[in-house]
Amino acid sequence: MSALVEQLNEDLSEVVARARVGLVQIHNGHRGAGAGAVWHPDGLIVTNAHVVQRRRPQVVLADGRTVSARLLAADPDHDLAALEVDATGLPAVTLGASRRLRPGQWVVAVGHPWGIAGAATVGVVIGLGADLPGFPAGRGEMLALSLHLRPGHSGGVVVDESGQVVGINTMMAGPDVGLAIPVEVAKRFIKDALGTP
Amino acid sequence: MTGALKSLSDALAGTVEALGPGVVRVEARRRMPASGVVWSSDGLVVTAHHAVEFEEGISLGLADGRTVNADLVGRDPTTDLALLRAEGSLEAPKWRGPEDLRVGHLVLALARPGRTVQATLGIVSALAEAWQSPGGGQVDRFLQTDVVMAPGFSGGPLVGAGGEVHGVNTSGLLRGLSMALPTPTVERVAAGLAAHGRIRRGYLGIGAQSVQLPAGLEAQLGQSAGQLLLSVEPGGPADSAGFILGDVLVAFEGTPIQRMDDLVALLTGDRVGQTATVRLVRGGTVQERSIIVGERPR
Repeated sequence: MSALVEQLNEDLSEVVARARVGLVQIHNGHRGAGAGAVWHPDGLIVTNAHVVQRRRPQVVLADGRTVSARLLAADPDHDLAALEVDATGLPAVTLGASRRLRPGQWVVAVGHPWGIAGAATVGVVIGLGADLPGFPAGRGEMLALSLHLRPGHSGGVVVDESGQVVGINTMMAGPDVGLAIPVEVAKRFIKDALGTP
Repeated sequence: MTGALKSLSDALAGTVEALGPGVVRVEARRRMPASGVVWSSDGLVVTAHHAVEFEEGISLGLADGRTVNADLVGRDPTTDLALLRAEGSLEAPKWRGPEDLRVGHLVLALARPGRTVQATLGIVSALAEAWQSPGGGQVDRFLQTDVVMAPGFSGGPLVGAGGEVHGVNTSGLLRGLSMALPTPTVERVAAGLAAHGRIRRGYLGIGAQSVQLPAGLEAQLGQSAGQLLLSVEPGGPADSAGFILGDVLVAFEGTPIQRMDDLVALLTGDRVGQTATVRLVRGGTVQERSIIVGERPR
């Protein structure tokens, strides 16, 4: 392979490594695991509301520890939830800016599809906005991505080509379009729910 | 990080931005809009035939947010292309033939089903010689990609690494495959539609099926099969030329006809009204007849 492809591979593996920082598994009893991301080293975790079906889900941290989490806030309309675990010094995500994303830009999504921990998938930004035609209406602003999200991806992160979080994996729209909640929407949710940025 | 991924990502997003003005929203059906790409700056826009349900009241959404009215110049269901004419001038992208494309090359599919331009990325999956669509349309190259055809992407441009348009994407030509009509096909169909409002196809007025030829004829003609006439339209071109049921058609203008596709490929629009020589087998003997090619009814 050419030097250019080798450079791309090197960058992609670095981006995947950065995307996995702060990635956790969220268990709800028997029904498989969703994903979540540590937003603050002192135990704040953000995921999808539909991933949290119990008030005290079990969370598997990056270091392998399983801890019990408390539900701090949930917004089913935006499909967002905030959890808290008793831990400090956790590796946390680096938040980016979804508003600056452009169609055609490269993104990587990580989660636990079909239970495969930390699996990565790559795609590009199709579009972003609240009025994406053909996609579910009334869900507010969304990122449309040309990548496949599977059960277990939900609550995991989408990062841009520098490894910064730009969205939260949520659902598929049709067979080939993945939808993510823009990170700006999640930032607003955390600010409104917890009063802190 | 080497910066290569960032450069690639920026280049892709930059290409989308640069091509955006040439990609329009086509509102010509009840459900969601499709996309179109500006063919020439005098307002001609190509789109997918299957996305144009209305013949009147078509409007185009432009990159600057304006909506303008457009007329349907014509459509060709066989290549799934339609030509629209917008009021006023539009910004046309650079069009380019498929000669620089190779299997494995990165390509972008652009679309504007909503207000903003959208994009998906893929590679050229297959690139082969000319082919005939299931509807009998002549396509200059078989150009298949793996770009995701998200809702509303049909009729949008396929863009190569050089930022030039190599064809028009459609998911309506071969089910389940992302196909692109290469620029030479778009050019030919657009010229035909602009001149006649339709793509003319030759017509003989026959129904036929393939039959094996007897060993003696096979040796004499150098082909193993022909087309047995099962019906001849009364007053049609074949009837007027004296063809009868049971004739076996074996060549058209010197080209052997074994399958129906062989014949359909030869019945191009430029033969309409022209005299052609057909070789056929009647009662075990080979003979030649002249026929005036008709035009396929719409």
